[in-house]
Amino acid sequence: MTVKEIIKAIFFVEILKGLALTLRSMFTPAVTRRYPKVKRPVKPGFRGLHALAKDENGRMKCVGCGLCGAYCPSKCIYIYTSEGEDHTKVVDRYEIEVLRCIYCGFCVEACPFGAITLSEHYEYSDYSREPFYMTKEKLLSNWDKYFTGEKGRRYFRDFWRPKTEDFTGYEGQAVFKGVKGEK
Amino acid sequence: MSGIFEAITATDNLTLLMKIGIIFLKIAVVLGIALLHVAYATYWERKVIGHMQVRLGPIEVGWHGFLQPIADGVKLFFKEDIIPANADKPLFYLAPVIFMVSALTSLSVLPFFDRFVIADINIGLLFLFAMSSLGAYGIILAGWASNSKYSFLGGLRSASQVISYEIAMGLSLVGVMMMAGSLNLSEIVRAQHQYPTGMFAIPQFLGFFVFITAAFAETNRLPFDLPEAESELVAGYFTEYSGFRFALFFLGEYTAMLIMSSIAALCFLGGWTIPKFITDAAPFLLNVPGIVWFLIKVYSFMFFYYWVRATLPRYRYDQLMAIGWKVLIPLALFNIVLTGTLRIMGVL
Repeated sequence: MTVKEIIKAIFFVEILKGLALTLRSMFTPAVTRRYPKVKRPVKPGFRGLHALAKDENGRMKCVGCGLCGAYCPSKCIYIYTSEGEDHTKVVDRYEIEVLRCIYCGFCVEACPFGAITLSEHYEYSDYSREPFYMTKEKLLSNWDKYFTGEKGRRYFRDFWRPKTEDFTGYEGQAVFKGVKGEK
Repeated sequence: MSGIFEAITATDNLTLLMKIGIIFLKIAVVLGIALLHVAYATYWERKVIGHMQVRLGPIEVGWHGFLQPIADGVKLFFKEDIIPANADKPLFYLAPVIFMVSALTSLSVLPFFDRFVIADINIGLLFLFAMSSLGAYGIILAGWASNSKYSFLGGLRSASQVISYEIAMGLSLVGVMMMAGSLNLSEIVRAQHQYPTGMFAIPQFLGFFVFITAAFAETNRLPFDLPEAESELVAGYFTEYSGFRFALFFLGEYTAMLIMSSIAALCFLGGWTIPKFITDAAPFLLNVPGIVWFLIKVYSFMFFYYWVRATLPRYRYDQLMAIGWKVLIPLALFNIVLTGTLRIMGVL
């Protein structure tokens, strides 16, 4: 043991350093988020609860092609179609098992018509499983709840509009600017 | 205000009945205030540790969580009282009472300010040691009566820990006794006031260090909280306790902390007095009631308890024993020899 080590051991230098650290952190502002009272703002492009988009006339955009269900990695989208009058395809049931969804957003990317979207809404905990089984009606009412108004329209335009309609990114989107460290 | 103090503290020309009445009044006041302090000590601890961990601590119940202790108390009172099937029932009932009573009895000899003490006995310090050892009975009995391996291990650990550190603590205060020439706590405080530094913590720095460490171990606080080591023993000796019996243990533990802080304030930091050189420099401080100084000292020591808890991890059991027997007891003995020698030489 050197003299320095002996002095350190006698005067508890390490412990005093620790005490100083805790005292300092006592006067730094707490990082706690008081969640139910103060909501955490969602980041742009947040993938929350699903909704089925409606067009200007208030009709469901979905045509029942089944691409979303085919792409879905957890296979939680169920689509049942039938032949209607004048041989059109009618979507009878469009159901999502939200508890199995992994929120990858592949269904949105697969959809050629921008019919399925993910809203910013994330507070939908409940006491039973039934509320998490989304039927067509519930998904359409989600559109009315979370995509009406300017905020919802902008959200849809910036994130869930199908790329077949428009290939440009939204304003302020993060873009790749070359290799890091290279001018 | 001073009139009331005079009425409470001067008991010379009163009948026996009035004296007894005044004693009961004092007991009620001390118990009420001490238990309220204990309740808010838990709040303050959670607040301090919360902020040291960059959290907020209790904040939802009342203004800044100020009603949290009351909510906790109500919750504990209405909780289901569970007793293990194979528990030794009489001892199981008795253990928290012994623990709590021994903690609360210690309050009777503490002078909170000049002449305000329930029992001004000449062996005050010895009485405090006796009571803090008696509290260990409650812990051991709780560990035994619960019929649970965690409780039993906690009780055993506590027994050996308290016995080991009791020696160091007793020896650390011998220096103070030698300096003051009395075991009466009021006399010790008065002797400190006569002393040039005004506090025995300065000439008795070795004894003060040993006392602080031993006090942490005596009250089963971190870094020596092995009897209730959460990560290994669930909750140690009170694992099987619930509801109000659990609350009694909890209250007892915090009362013990309050008493240890009070002993530190009385024996080493000058109790209700402040050093003479300070009052000479700033005479207006003489108008401040003694209880304020006493409480400031007690609260600082309590804060130190929390501060250490937020900083240090738990020691291993062999380390705990090594510190107790190989460091603290020799240090305390050295301190006694040193104090005695210096006292004979007339330096102290």
